[in-house]
Amino acid sequence: MNALRAELLKAVTTRLLLWLGLGLLAFLLLVLSIHIGSENPDGLGELSRQRSTFAFGGLAAVVAVLLGAILVTAEYAHGTINQSFLAVPVRGRLLAAKLGGALLVAFVLALLADAATLVISELWYSGRGLSLHLGRDTLAPFLGAVGASMLAAGIGVGLGAVFRRQTGAIVAILLWLLIGEGAISAAGDTARYAPGRALAAVVAAHSRGSTDMLAVWPAAVVGFLYVAIFCGAGFLVVIGSDVPGSGD
Amino acid sequence: MADGAGVIEVEHLTKRFRRATAVDDLSFSVPRGRITGFLGPNGAGKTTTLRVLLGLALPTSGRASVAGRRYRELDAPLQTVGAVLEASNYHPARSGRSHLRVLATAAGISPSRVDQVLGKVELSGAAKRRVGGYSLGMRQRLSVAAALLGEPELLVLDEPANGLDPEGIRWLRNFLRSFADGGGTVFVSSHVLAEVSQLADEVVIIHRGKLVAHEPVADLVAQAVGATRVRSPRAAALLERLRVVGIEAEADGDRLAVHAPPERVGDLAAEAGIPLHELVADTGSLEEAFLELTAEPQA
Repeated sequence: MNALRAELLKAVTTRLLLWLGLGLLAFLLLVLSIHIGSENPDGLGELSRQRSTFAFGGLAAVVAVLLGAILVTAEYAHGTINQSFLAVPVRGRLLAAKLGGALLVAFVLALLADAATLVISELWYSGRGLSLHLGRDTLAPFLGAVGASMLAAGIGVGLGAVFRRQTGAIVAILLWLLIGEGAISAAGDTARYAPGRALAAVVAAHSRGSTDMLAVWPAAVVGFLYVAIFCGAGFLVVIGSDVPGSGD
Repeated sequence: MADGAGVIEVEHLTKRFRRATAVDDLSFSVPRGRITGFLGPNGAGKTTTLRVLLGLALPTSGRASVAGRRYRELDAPLQTVGAVLEASNYHPARSGRSHLRVLATAAGISPSRVDQVLGKVELSGAAKRRVGGYSLGMRQRLSVAAALLGEPELLVLDEPANGLDPEGIRWLRNFLRSFADGGGTVFVSSHVLAEVSQLADEVVIIHRGKLVAHEPVADLVAQAVGATRVRSPRAAALLERLRVVGIEAEADGDRLAVHAPPERVGDLAAEAGIPLHELVADTGSLEEAFLELTAEPQA
């Protein structure tokens, strides 16, 4: 518990969360403005359209995977991992605390993204003389965004532990999101199981799957498996290797 | 820990990095309640040994323990060992106080200790400043503060005087001395031999990863071959006489520095009828002892 509290303290005693939060807010403002502002009023009135609008809160998952990786790699980048392992020398315990901290931070981040999505959408809708329908069908993506963000943060922690180098981890994540996910579309139905697609399906939160998207619960299970695989690999790498340091 | 055993025990420790052997079957013990210097040339394996001791590097074979247990097996590590490693192990955007709060929280130490140790290392005034704006000396003091958080009885320091100005070095020396006087144990690696000779009770010297000496500083210095200072109006004749019998000496006017005991120099001068105006034995130094022990063999 002490290690988890320390990880949360680490997260809030730098400006990382502030910048990531502001970046996410600005991105949401941009994409929601384009999405709602360019749509005709008839389309915006449809419940399915509102549901897909609320799914933009799932962009928090993109920030969460980066956040998870940075929470691990920043320690290596600044050398603070030495002090962390001196305070918590059982490496598995420290990494588990990092995972727990990343999940909690991602949870809060996703709630804020959901709130921002709702507020921005409400402002645009009322500005265009429309009203939002807030019901079980339309709000499901908000819960999906929270779940997907937590899963993404877990994947990020695992990737951060595998790479340990901040630039390497961030570049790998961005390359996968920008190129890898698109390239894997060639795999047909199987592409539904790619990490990004699975998390997108968690955000979409459909009870039934389709040829290009899993249903919410199978998608959540696939996402959880990715967390287990990446964290398992990352934790093994960290536990079985020396902590980098200088000197002779 | 068994009575009489060292607070630090290194037993047949070997650490290899691919083909390079950094530490080679190293064994030594650090006694409780003393200041022990850990010396060796650059690349001798000092930092690697300390990192294995502190659980940051994994040994290839052998064992290093603190208070009878491996570091990762300690129930309260920061309350057992305070470690000062590199002065760069900080997040530059975090304040000094936040840095210590994180460590205290992780180790289950009361937050009130943070301000106490900041005061102890004279950093209270800079506690809220970002560490990125600290001078090297301030960062080193923050390292010491972190080491003191858990009120440990053992301090392990790796080159703590690196980059410190003379005032900082004096502060560190006084601090470590007062820590030891209070019953604490200090194990400090350094390449500043003058500092270690003033500070340490005993030294562990390693070279190429192997132990070459582990003795009290006084014994080591006594064994070091010092030169004999000689002044004579016939210095040139004495120099020639010394060379005939195979004794090395350097001349500077009427003065000679002779690499032989004063008794031998005096006897030779008497036999040759050479008057001496001065015959003084220079005592050895830790530096001389260190250089003798770590000298590379002539090709």
